Amino acid sequence: MAEMVQKESGGAILNHWALAISCILLMITGFAFLFHLEWIGSVFGGFNTMKTVHNWVGVIFSVSLVFTMFQYLGDSLKYDADDAQWFKVAGGYLSHKVKVPPMGKHNPGQKLYYLGIALFGLLIALSGFGIWLMKENTTIMLLSHLVHNVAFVFFCIMVPVHIYLSTLANPGTLPIMLSGKVPLALAKKRYPKWVKAMGKM
Amino acid sequence: MANNTKNRKAILVTPELCIGCRACQVSCKSWNQLPGIKTHNSGTYQNPPDLSNTAFNLINFIEMPSQENPARWLFVSRRCMHCDDAGCMKICPAAGAIYRTPEGAVAFDSDKCVACKLCVNACPFDVPRYNDQGKMSKCHLCFDRIGSGMEPACTKTCPTGALKYGDRDELVKTAKVDGFSTIYGENDLGGLGAVYAFKEAPKLYGMKENPVIPSSVIFWHKYLKPLSWIGLGGVVAAAAIHYLAIGPHKDEEV
Ligand code: HEM
Ligand code: HEM
Ligand code: SF4
Ligand code: SF4
Ligand code: SF4
Repeated sequence: MAEMVQKESGGAILNHWALAISCILLMITGFAFLFHLEWIGSVFGGFNTMKTVHNWVGVIFSVSLVFTMFQYLGDSLKYDADDAQWFKVAGGYLSHKVKVPPMGKHNPGQKLYYLGIALFGLLIALSGFGIWLMKENTTIMLLSHLVHNVAFVFFCIMVPVHIYLSTLANPGTLPIMLSGKVPLALAKKRYPKWVKAMGKM
Repeated sequence: MANNTKNRKAILVTPELCIGCRACQVSCKSWNQLPGIKTHNSGTYQNPPDLSNTAFNLINFIEMPSQENPARWLFVSRRCMHCDDAGCMKICPAAGAIYRTPEGAVAFDSDKCVACKLCVNACPFDVPRYNDQGKMSKCHLCFDRIGSGMEPACTKTCPTGALKYGDRDELVKTAKVDGFSTIYGENDLGGLGAVYAFKEAPKLYGMKENPVIPSSVIFWHKYLKPLSWIGLGGVVAAAAIHYLAIGPHKDEEV
C-alpha cells in the first residue's frame, strides 16, 4: 500500500457532505418552487411539507456554511505568483500541453470557488431567513426574494462545475472527500508546495 | 395567459350608482361563510376599515365635497381585481395555490398554499390577506358560482346595478355607450377583471393611477428564472463537451 497523506480531516469531510447534500436538496426543492414541478412536490408529499423541508434543510446548510469558514476561508484569501500563472494557463484545463505551475493545498480556482460559495451562501441563507421570518415587511420580502434568486443562479452555475471538476475531470480527487487521504506520490505531483510545507518533499 | 377573449368575465363597478347599502359585503360573507369581525369606529361610516381574511370586498366611503354637493360621498367597491397579468400568481411558489379559472377569475386553493405570504408583496392593489394559519384568502370572483353559470353573490345582491357581472367586452362597451369617460382597468396589467366606470379621474375615487407589479418581481420572472435553468443546463453541457473534447486531467503532464 502506497504511503498516504491526510488532506481533509474527518470533521471537514462530514461538514462537506452536510453542506453538499443540504445544498443539492435546497436546489432541487428550489427548482420545484420556481417552476411548480408537482412531481418533485409529490416526492415530499406536497408543497407544504416540501416548504418545511426547504426551510429546515436551509438551517443545516447555514450552520454547515459557518463551519466551512474555519476550514477554508483563511487559505482562500491568499494568492501568490504561481496562482497568477495558473490563471494564465487556465489551470491546464483548456489544453494538456501547457505547463501548470506548482500548486499548494488548493488551486486558485478552488479558492475562488470557496469565496463564491461563502459570499453567495451567506446571501442565499440571509435572504432565505428573510422570506421565512420577516413576512410582514414588504421591503425585506421583495429584496430577499430578489437576492435569494440571484444567489440561486450562482449556485446553478457553480455547483455543477465543482462536481465535474472534483470527479470526472480530475480522477483521484473524489477520494479526498471520502477518506480524507491522498497517495503521497500523487500529492507530490498535484500539490507540491503543500507537501513541501509539510516537510515531506 | 391572454384572457382578453370573448369568454372572459368581469365585474363592472359604477360608483355613481352605488348607494352605500353594503348588501354586497353581507352577501359575500353569507356565500363564503365568513364570520363577522369586531372593528372600531374610525370616524367614518366605512366598515370594515380594510379588506381582511373574512372581508373579501368592501365599500370605500370617500367624502369628496363638490361645488353642487357639499355633502358628496363616493362609494367605491374594492376587492381583488382579477388581473390578467397577476402579480400574486407570478410570485407564488406553490403549484396550484393560485390559479386561473376558465372565466378569467384568479381563484385560490388553501390546501396548496404554503403560507409564505409572498403574494401580497407582488400584488399592485394590496389585496391578499391571511388567516391564522397564514393561508392566503381574497375575493375569488365566486368561482364556485360562476363555474356553474350563476353570477357572483355580490353582483346578484346589488340592488342598483353599481356592481354588474358579465362578459368583459360587453360590460366595457356598455359603460362607454352610457357616457363614462374613464374605464379604469380596461388595459392595466393586461386588463383587469374588475373594471370601473368613472366620470372623473380615477385618483378622485382613490384608485391607484398606474398599477404595476414591482420591478424586482418582473426582473425575477423574466430573467432570473430562465437564467437558473439555462445556466444549469449550459454548464452541464459545457462539462460534457470538455470531457469529450479535451478530456480529464492526466498526472503525467504535471
Ligand atoms: C455531490 C457532489 C460533490 C462532490 C463529488 C464534491 C467533491 C468535493 C471534493 C473531492 C472536494 C475536495 C477538493 C480538494 O480538496 O482538492 C470538495 C471540496 C469542496 N466542496 Fe464539494 N463536492 C460536491 C458537492 C458540493 C456542493 C453542493 C458544495 C456547496 C455548496 C460543495 C462545496 C465544497 C467546498 C466549499 C469545498 C472546499 C474546497 C474548495 O474550495 O474546493 N461541494 N468537494
Ligand atoms: C443553497 C441554498 C438554497 C437554495 C439553492 C435555495 C433555493 C430557493 C429557490 C429557488 C426558491 C424559490 C424561489 C422563490 O419563490 O423565491 C426558494 C425559496 C425559499 N427559500 Fe430557499 N434556497 C436556499 C437556501 C435557503 C435557506 C438557507 C433558507 C432559510 C432558512 C431558505 C428559505 C426559503 C424560503 C422561505 C423560500 C420561499 C418560498 C417558500 O416559502 O415556499 N432557502 N429557495
Ligand atoms: S389584484 Fe392582486 S390579488 Fe387580485 S389578481 Fe391582481 S395581483 Fe392577484
Ligand atoms: S401565501 Fe400562499 S398563495 Fe400566497 S404566494 Fe405564498 S403559497 Fe402562494
Ligand atoms: S365576487 Fe364573490 S367572493 Fe368576490 S366579493 Fe363578490 S361575493 Fe365576495
